[in-house]
Amino acid sequence: MSNDVVVSARNMTKRFGNTLVFKDVSLDVHKSEVVAIVGPSGAGKSTFIRCINRLHPFDEGTLELLGHRLTGGKAKVPRAVLQDIHTRVGMVFQTFNLFPHLTVIENIMLAPMEVKKMPRAEARERAMALLEMVGLPHKRDIYPKRLSGGEQQRVAICRALAMEPEIMLFDEPTSMLDPELVGEVLGAIQRLAREGMTMLLVTHEMAFAKEVADTVVIMADHEIAEMGPACEVLESPKTERAQQFLSRVLKPEQAADDFVAARTASQGGDR
Amino acid sequence: MHVALHYLGVYGVGALKDIALTIVSTILSIILGVLAAAGRLYGPKALQIAIAWYVEIIRGLPAILQLFIIYFGFDQIGIHFSPLMAALIWLVAYGVGYAVEIFRAGLMDVAQGQREASAALGLSPSTTMRKIVFPQALVAMLPPLTSFVVLQLKNTTLLYLVGFADVMYEARLGVDATNQAGPLYVMAAVVYLIISLVIGRIGMRMERRAAAYR
Ligand SMILES: Nc1ncnc2c1ncn2[C@@H]1O[C@H](COP(=O)(O)OP(=O)(O)O)[C@@H](O)[C@H]1O
Ligand SMILES: [Mg+2]
Repeated sequence: MSNDVVVSARNMTKRFGNTLVFKDVSLDVHKSEVVAIVGPSGAGKSTFIRCINRLHPFDEGTLELLGHRLTGGKAKVPRAVLQDIHTRVGMVFQTFNLFPHLTVIENIMLAPMEVKKMPRAEARERAMALLEMVGLPHKRDIYPKRLSGGEQQRVAICRALAMEPEIMLFDEPTSMLDPELVGEVLGAIQRLAREGMTMLLVTHEMAFAKEVADTVVIMADHEIAEMGPACEVLESPKTERAQQFLSRVLKPEQAADDFVAARTASQGGDR
Repeated sequence: MHVALHYLGVYGVGALKDIALTIVSTILSIILGVLAAAGRLYGPKALQIAIAWYVEIIRGLPAILQLFIIYFGFDQIGIHFSPLMAALIWLVAYGVGYAVEIFRAGLMDVAQGQREASAALGLSPSTTMRKIVFPQALVAMLPPLTSFVVLQLKNTTLLYLVGFADVMYEARLGVDATNQAGPLYVMAAVVYLIISLVIGRIGMRMERRAAAYR
């Protein structure tokens, strides 16, 4: 982790129509820093990282990344800026979103060839190197449908890495996977972190966040409830909202008890 | 030899005309239909509404009225089309109305996540359309497109009414001349059936190839 700030969000606010998704979110990400974003579902985590690579526009605040400065509101971002951001920021989706009509290797080769005009042979060679890295070289000519979820997500990581991004965004990369397949995907992400990739990672895997992240951000109730060094935030959170959230996810039995208690209470109330 | 068999030759020529007209009108309808579907989905509001109305009118008006308006109606205001020209204009005008809806449904069928993944890789909107959305939409579009081509073929049977000399036209003339309605119409039916079956087979092949990844 260095001192160069590569992503700087200032007071970012996002609404869908009249629904507030998050407000006043400010966050700096340094080169090679790994930031894990955790929080209850519906908190706006996915929307936030989608705003960073401008899959969604945001309404207020500013976002500086990779030398570009974007402001909230209706103003259109020039096509060239958008393209530059998309080329230099990679994204991995919760639902993989591989292109089903292309084979594994074609999925990985497409963007370098179309966007960077890389010669086919070179794109193929690089794609194979990426597949070796995630342990899937033998799957290169298979269509995504024939892969397990864990394999699909590893291919999706390769597809993003083929563009040699400077920043990677992960939106709950393992939450659609069977438990026994989570490890292989987390392994690939951990390796990237060790190699110095700058990453923003939305996750529910607290143990993993603690292990790979430098910084943890807890988002809840449309804002950042707490943020700081991973161990500090996860082990001794200061704000009540953060404590509440972490006690739920770190002690499942407690959460289950709370849930049952809440249900009994509400049913009792109905009667 | 049965008198009806003397008509095999003119039927053959008529069938070739029907096939050519079906192919040409299908190609033009598909090209214009793709553009109109793009306009309907992504164009300015006024264009979207105009195309939506066009589709309603084409689908709502009886086919034969459309043909008569183009051939006889325009003649009244001094614009005279040959039977071939009128046939082509009508088939394309009619075909676009159907093709727009086939393409629109196909394009909408491709999941939003596909467009997002493509955008996130830096692919331009036009590359996304060409390389990601269209190939997937095609799988959804091929079955209705095959039915559409068969529908266009069947529409050609109305063209005898404006004097376009195809199989149906020859059959009518033959029946007037020989009084052999049964054999002559059955022969015409066989011709149309064979062409329809061939179209269906071609469509099925293309579907199988396009959907190989599923
Ligand atoms: N495309 C959209 N249109 C309207 N509302 C949306 C859209 N995407 C997300 N939302 C809403 O924004 C809120 C935050 O969603 P999301 O960012 O997915 O949360 P998280 O990832 O933290 O679970 C939710 O209430 C969700 O319903
Ligand atoms: Mg989410």
